[in-house]
Amino acid sequence: MLLKLAWRNIFRNKRRSLITVSSIIFAVVFAVFMRSLQFGAYGNMLKNIVGSYMGYIQVHQNGFWDEKTLDNSFSITEVEHLSKLKEVSYVSHRIEGFVLASIGDQSKPVALLGLNAEQEKEQIKLDAKVIEGEYISSINKGLLVGKGLKDIMKLKLGDTLVFLGQGYQGSIASGNYPIIGFIDLKTPELNKRTVILNLDQAQELFALPDMVTTAVIGLENDNWREAQASIISALDTSKIEVMNWQEMLPELKQLITVDKAGGSFVLLILYSIITFSLFGTVLMLTEERSFEYGVLIAIGMAKQKVILVALLETIFMAVVGIILGLIVAFPIVLYFNINPINLSGQMQEVVEKFGFEALIPTSLDPSIALTHAGIIFGIVLIVNIYTIVRIKNLKPVNAMRR
Amino acid sequence: MITVSEITKVYDDGKVKVQALRGIDLEIKKGEFTAIVGPSGSGKTTLLNIIGGLDTPTNGQVTIGETNIASLSENELIDFRLNHIGFVFQSYNLIPVLTAKENVEFLMLLQKKNETERNERTIKLLKAVGLEDQINKKPSKMSGGQQQRVAVARALASKPDFVLADEPTANLDSTSTANLLDIMLQLNEEENITFVFSTHDQRVINRAKRVITVEDGKILSDERK
Repeated sequence: MLLKLAWRNIFRNKRRSLITVSSIIFAVVFAVFMRSLQFGAYGNMLKNIVGSYMGYIQVHQNGFWDEKTLDNSFSITEVEHLSKLKEVSYVSHRIEGFVLASIGDQSKPVALLGLNAEQEKEQIKLDAKVIEGEYISSINKGLLVGKGLKDIMKLKLGDTLVFLGQGYQGSIASGNYPIIGFIDLKTPELNKRTVILNLDQAQELFALPDMVTTAVIGLENDNWREAQASIISALDTSKIEVMNWQEMLPELKQLITVDKAGGSFVLLILYSIITFSLFGTVLMLTEERSFEYGVLIAIGMAKQKVILVALLETIFMAVVGIILGLIVAFPIVLYFNINPINLSGQMQEVVEKFGFEALIPTSLDPSIALTHAGIIFGIVLIVNIYTIVRIKNLKPVNAMRR
Repeated sequence: MITVSEITKVYDDGKVKVQALRGIDLEIKKGEFTAIVGPSGSGKTTLLNIIGGLDTPTNGQVTIGETNIASLSENELIDFRLNHIGFVFQSYNLIPVLTAKENVEFLMLLQKKNETERNERTIKLLKAVGLEDQINKKPSKMSGGQQQRVAVARALASKPDFVLADEPTANLDSTSTANLLDIMLQLNEEENITFVFSTHDQRVINRAKRVITVEDGKILSDERK
């Protein structure tokens, strides 16, 4: 009967209930969409930079990250056993060096990345990023050049790039290699400066036999903190450093933190508006029903039950609003996940300046929806404190004086 | 039995003190059909509220059966009202979203009576007040007289020791008043239910078996017919 009473009370002032439910729907849709967009953007950044290029965890010779010189290389044998750890799905060896690339009368410093082409194809689908020409392999040797560098140096397939630089322990690194493909690393900054070749060729160029500068650690799941701890315990950290993506890209972490704070501020404003709107409803509802609550208490209904009926009424509205809000939000979020927002004009320039892809897909992480549904439900409960206090202090004889 | 001893009530808003009751002594026995009468502001509603435990006296005490209601905590008092006192209000005060049947059944639900008992008593009471054909109507679809009859049925649903009715006929026309009084008198005579009214309606006074006249917070007269 209490449920019935609360449910029917909702329909006593249909317009007010409709406005209340609508404001909850709006809050849920706005909060879920905004947060999905924000988290989707972070996810995309991580996927592009971390997930498909840098890896969540990298292992280097101590000091390499601060001073990226080939002299800070280490032997492959030192990290081979990491692939046996349960948190690790693969270990990919790389050489990261810098050379001067020349063609004709043009020269440009480039980041040369030597990697195991077969393994990177299998693990991070690097071959899928080739936009023109062919992917490299142990048979099909040559260079993959970032699409940005291609435009800057006006390169075409079949051109030969001449490299000149410093190899291991002061040796001269020089060689010439044909371009067999162009690649889109999804990050403008990387595209402008990256050239990829086979690991054995890079080892030969830089005079680094069986040595690498970097081991990218592939993980079984997203729990990189646990994996990092496990990897650290499996290595001699007096020689080797184990870095997670936040340590390698503090500016990205900072950017995400600042952006999250900005998003939280916008949500705080939204939730404040919703809180006052709901409080207005609860205030009106409680004052309007005070007479009735007085009657109910007078005839013998315990105050706790009167409070329960009052709470149930707003809880019903909140639940209906939240469910409808989620139903409305889901297709919108799904649409923008499949068709990411493609930034253009100034926004595109700004985003690309930071080295990110100008695409913002929404995140489908269900915890976003659940979190905001929970927050709105919490707000409903909080504003009802007024009702609880009002009914607790209600004297029926006063309440029934119109 | 209801025993009212030396009740005084002073309303004090910090600026003005108003003495609503000035030492009331009263006994109402089981089965009485009593009207407390007096002009507006005489203190009859205050007296009824204090007897019903809705208001507290400044001095004195009210004993219902063996219970001094001042000794009860707030929750105990609400529970006491549920199980011992029926209320009929001037403006009916039915729950607007519930049907006549649900309004009558409501107190029995709070008393945790089983469904069979609830149904039987609800139908019996609605029959007794002549509304067996209106059980599924909501208050807004009923006349004032019908609503007040539902209110009487609701007051009796919890099998109270007595019913307190504050100006129950104030909003009713002559026919509805006569019908309501017939029903209450019948319940009083046949089921020995105690009724205490506050009223200044002569039609009620004429049919009451005991008339207590209150003026300026004091009992002026107490007549049994």
